[in-house]
Amino acid sequence: MRGVVLLVACGVAFAQAPDPAYEPLARAYEALKAHDYGAAVANFTKGVELAPGRASIRKDLAYTYLKIGENELAREQFREAMRLEPNDLQVAMEYAFLCYETKEQAQARRIFDRVRQTGNAVAEQAFHNIDDPLAEGINRWKEAIAKGADNFSAHFELATLAERRDELELAAEHYERAWRIAPERRTVLVDLGRTWKSLNRLEDANAALLAASRGGEPRAAEMARELLPDRYPYVSECRRALELDATNVELRRELAYLLLRMDRGAEAEREFWVLTRTAPEDMLSATQLGFLLIARGDAAGAMPLFERVLAGPDEDLANRVRAVLRIPQVLRPRTTESKPVSIDAKVMAERSMKAGYMKDALKYLQVAHEAEPADFAVMLQMGWAYNILHQDGQAVRWFDLARRSTDPKIASEASTAWKNLRNSLQRFRTTVWVFPVFSTRWHDLFSYGQFKTEWRTRFPIHPYVSTRFVGDTRVTIGAVSPQFLSESSFILGVGLTTAPWHGVTAWGEAGSAINYATGHMLPDYRGGVSMARNFGKSLAAESNGVFAASNTDGVFVSRFGNDFLIYQQTRFGYSWGPKLLRAQLYWNLNLTVDDQRQGWANFLELGPGIRFRAAFMPPSMYLMVDSMQGAYLIHGSYPVAHFSDLRVGVWYALTR
Amino acid sequence: MRLRGSLALVLAVSGAATEMPYFSVLSDDPGAWPDILSSVGFQAKPAGLAHIFVARSGAPGSSEWAARVESGAVLILEGESSLAESFGFRRGKESVRVASLTDVHNPRLPIVLEKGLELPVIQLPDGARVFAKERWTGAPMIAGERRGAGAVLWVAVPPGERGYERFPYLLQALCDLGVEPPFRATGLWAFFDSGYRARVDLDYFARRWRRAGIGALHVAAWHFYDFSEEGDAYLRRLIEACHREGILVYAWLELPHVSEKFWNDHPEWREKTATLQDAKLDWRKLMNLTNRECFAAAADGVRRLLDRFDWDGVNLAELYFESLEGIGNPSRFTPMNGDVRKLFQSGKGFDPLELFGARNDTASKRSFLDFRSELAGRIEEEWLGVLESARSRKPDLDLILTHVDDRFDKGMRDAIGADAGRVLPLLDRHRFTFLIEDPATVWHIGPQRYREIAEAYQTLTKHREKLAIDINIVDRYQNVYPTKQQTGTELFQLVHHAAANFQRVALYFENSLLAPDWRLVPAAGAVVSRIEAVGHKTLVESPNGTGLQWKGPALVDGQAWPAADDETVWLPAGTHSVERAASWTGPRLLYLNGELGVARTVDAKGIEFSYRSAGRAIAVLDRNPRKIQLDGGDFAPMKGAGASVLLPRGQHVVTIGTE
Repeated sequence: MRGVVLLVACGVAFAQAPDPAYEPLARAYEALKAHDYGAAVANFTKGVELAPGRASIRKDLAYTYLKIGENELAREQFREAMRLEPNDLQVAMEYAFLCYETKEQAQARRIFDRVRQTGNAVAEQAFHNIDDPLAEGINRWKEAIAKGADNFSAHFELATLAERRDELELAAEHYERAWRIAPERRTVLVDLGRTWKSLNRLEDANAALLAASRGGEPRAAEMARELLPDRYPYVSECRRALELDATNVELRRELAYLLLRMDRGAEAEREFWVLTRTAPEDMLSATQLGFLLIARGDAAGAMPLFERVLAGPDEDLANRVRAVLRIPQVLRPRTTESKPVSIDAKVMAERSMKAGYMKDALKYLQVAHEAEPADFAVMLQMGWAYNILHQDGQAVRWFDLARRSTDPKIASEASTAWKNLRNSLQRFRTTVWVFPVFSTRWHDLFSYGQFKTEWRTRFPIHPYVSTRFVGDTRVTIGAVSPQFLSESSFILGVGLTTAPWHGVTAWGEAGSAINYATGHMLPDYRGGVSMARNFGKSLAAESNGVFAASNTDGVFVSRFGNDFLIYQQTRFGYSWGPKLLRAQLYWNLNLTVDDQRQGWANFLELGPGIRFRAAFMPPSMYLMVDSMQGAYLIHGSYPVAHFSDLRVGVWYALTR
Repeated sequence: MRLRGSLALVLAVSGAATEMPYFSVLSDDPGAWPDILSSVGFQAKPAGLAHIFVARSGAPGSSEWAARVESGAVLILEGESSLAESFGFRRGKESVRVASLTDVHNPRLPIVLEKGLELPVIQLPDGARVFAKERWTGAPMIAGERRGAGAVLWVAVPPGERGYERFPYLLQALCDLGVEPPFRATGLWAFFDSGYRARVDLDYFARRWRRAGIGALHVAAWHFYDFSEEGDAYLRRLIEACHREGILVYAWLELPHVSEKFWNDHPEWREKTATLQDAKLDWRKLMNLTNRECFAAAADGVRRLLDRFDWDGVNLAELYFESLEGIGNPSRFTPMNGDVRKLFQSGKGFDPLELFGARNDTASKRSFLDFRSELAGRIEEEWLGVLESARSRKPDLDLILTHVDDRFDKGMRDAIGADAGRVLPLLDRHRFTFLIEDPATVWHIGPQRYREIAEAYQTLTKHREKLAIDINIVDRYQNVYPTKQQTGTELFQLVHHAAANFQRVALYFENSLLAPDWRLVPAAGAVVSRIEAVGHKTLVESPNGTGLQWKGPALVDGQAWPAADDETVWLPAGTHSVERAASWTGPRLLYLNGELGVARTVDAKGIEFSYRSAGRAIAVLDRNPRKIQLDGGDFAPMKGAGASVLLPRGQHVVTIGTE
């Protein structure tokens, strides 16, 4: 019984491990018998997939490939078979022979050399069949060079033979010499890079390959790309490649643009200078350098470059320069030539922007700009693209360039954008605001103001120095504590503020309050969080419509008994009127509360208001009239429970 | 406006002439599409007659196109358009910089664009097959799908000014979607080096060559110059396989390279360069054929080579000196052997070696270069004599002289001594074909160059029918794009224009013809001036005869026509009508290597046809012949040739009774 069980178990065991490749292999051999090589290849390939570790299937597949003349495919199968069975000398020999036949002589020589060490006479003969002519050829070309044949052909042929014979130092030397004689043969630079790579001179190899990958033959560039690391080159690598191939205009120009994008303008400018000296025909670089110079006010430096472009053959570039110089364009008849690349790129950029693909748009715009560096419309679009991508540092640079356009529409749009952005981007920003307001309730003119200079660091927190003024026309106004309306002081302080984030700013400062009436100085600490939100048509808008605005401030003030107050001011209404005189009619709803529950600091007020802005006024000025009704919220904590107040004021702010 | 009009017309006409191989480009500017499609035999016709339509970028969409494609139209869509969108080829979010491609027809071949492109990535409809993609990102560049009885092929951008700057395998993709070229040529020549085909199945390859329209193989004969049991057996098998398939075999000689053994055995006869080194240049090991002993030995060896095998002809190729770099590169400059130097010195008074030293004045150089060119001419004529003498034993032996162009490439005479103007008059005294090597200096003109070359050479000889052109399918040394060697549409255009201007077209060489091209090369080699549907007949006009794609029995000019295989009916030169026949009534002439005259079925076992051929002809039947009569007399077929019959050169009528 046990025996039966054992037999059954064995049977099951064998039944569980049939040859997975049996069926396709059977079909493959049938197909081979019938000379149906297509079917044989298909079935052997299936067999390989099912039994990938079996070298014999690969061999049979390789022999089938040989029947139909697919020697390279056969070679690859033998290579894999050799990997699976490294001691199978027959496979190694087949592989080596096929390497030889498929122009991989160096590999063939290596394999024959390995196999001949085992005493294999065929390998010995095959090795010599390859090696002897190589050695002879190397000597012949060495001799020819020694006799004075210092030409490309001699060096290149010597290098090629040396590389096949694994004499890599010799190969590298003569590839380099050949390339120096004929630098336009960019594939030789790839050969040199490949040889250096084999010699483990990786930095040299990368330099050669990087140089070959830029400019010159696109095919050499593709070959080089295969051998280069799969990443964008570093600036240092570009510089090394330029040491090897100093006349590589495309690489140097690419480096210059790269430096520009990295905000390394001075270095970029140096590269453009090199280009304008070494490649005077490179009008693109001359134009770009001219723009850089003129952008930083060096018109004298830019002019010779622009003159070169104007005298050059590229009419489009010249016209762009004329636009900058505000001299008439030279019109020329349309030709039947295809449109320049930049036009296509512009179209693609426009489509991308419309579709909201801003990164794509930016790529296209960069292509367009590199093709037509003086196209102001492209510059303007670059500005907007960067702006939308929140790269305002770049955006402001492009707006600055575009505002020089002779097209008034482009110039105006760019100027507005530039001004708006420049202010927000300057390293030091000074803000001055004043708000004098007359109150009928207090019969007094109160004035509030601040002079603040902020250092806009790269970080989200910016230090600042500030002078505040809080005062009124009378030093005191009677019995009621006016403290929350007029501190009658200049408050000098230093502080920190955050960059706005979704309209929210946090700030804090320390300083001294100097009472301008008494001369007393008190330490002053204040800080808080401020949030502003605006919706709809503002006073500066060009059309009519509803609006709403909300300002919330949480403020800690040491002088108010270390109080923390919250001011919430809301307005909603309608903006209307021509540009000449714009107005907002609205309803106010203001709430003030504090954490110490002081009577004066907890009240609600509401009422209608109106604001005006006339065209002749500075941009950030308006007049306001508010008619407010108020109520104190803590019963009995304040002498009056209700109040009425008509406030007339002027707001003015200036930022530089 | 006109585009919309064309589309409207197309949509209004339904089912007209759908079988005719006509195409129409639905645009005022057809671009390169006519060059592309006509290179494999399609003909441009108005949209109402066409079967293949090209809708260029921006073509408006129409819902009716879907139905038209379903019912058999083939629609080629170029770039972005609402029409492309209607078939599901829509712009995606990404874009890609395109500098190189990979194509499924030859994934290992680098396809590099001369000018890179910035393109949006297009989303494809479900089920579309990608034929070509951007190399690094895989973004589709050519894709298509079969839809009902028709097909849609989309290409990302226009194919370039000449039609092959971007997508070499566009026509192959079209064929993958079921579009078959209408015509087939049979008379192409191809050079063959056994070194690359040592272990192939020769029968398999012979069949493949015949399907590719190759009528003659020019076999590198120096490998067989010296007897070797294995080598001789291989060559005999090759010749037999070729003859069975109707392919002629020529001995291709590359004198003054004789053979490896000849070089090793006779170091004393080796050619010298101007550095006085042995002239082993590239693969060729050059011998000094000016030396009388060397010449006699080499000529004797060539005679033996011709006698040992059943050659159909000899190609005497490139018999001049080295190198293309001319006198500027002494390490490759020949001939500088002692015999030549002595011969020159006896006439001109100085050793030409001095030209590479102190005597480098222009007059001295000119004197030697002229002498050298005349010497090359004398050597060529001397060898023509040697080969013609072989005709006493082999009267059908054809003779070819392959010669580099020096009409366009004016530097050739000084560089290598070649002078076609001196050789061509030999056609008056010798019977041979002058095969012109495609001049690299005019490759930039593109395929249209062949008309110019033909015109230039036709002014040099009255034997125009003896002029042939050789297309070098090689890795070109120039910076050419998108492929280093000619393949796909570029190759088809070359072959097509060459065939239109020369009686014979040779391809150098068989091994360099890439796999995806085999299928369409015969279509490119066909020259047809007209094809029309007249009632139920198809009218075909061709100057040299052609194969018309045809399935089933046919009547030609109203008569039962036995010259046809299962896919092709073979038509003689001139205008002929073809129509369907009920059935085959006798033996068939599956293939004829020669110019077909007339063909008729004699009875259920008999067939008769006439032909003309400069060398041997070969007829391949669908059954074994039993009795053959040539011009009324009995003719003994070769033993073991099966259903193939080797026939003598000239113009003959053959009557064959079969088993």
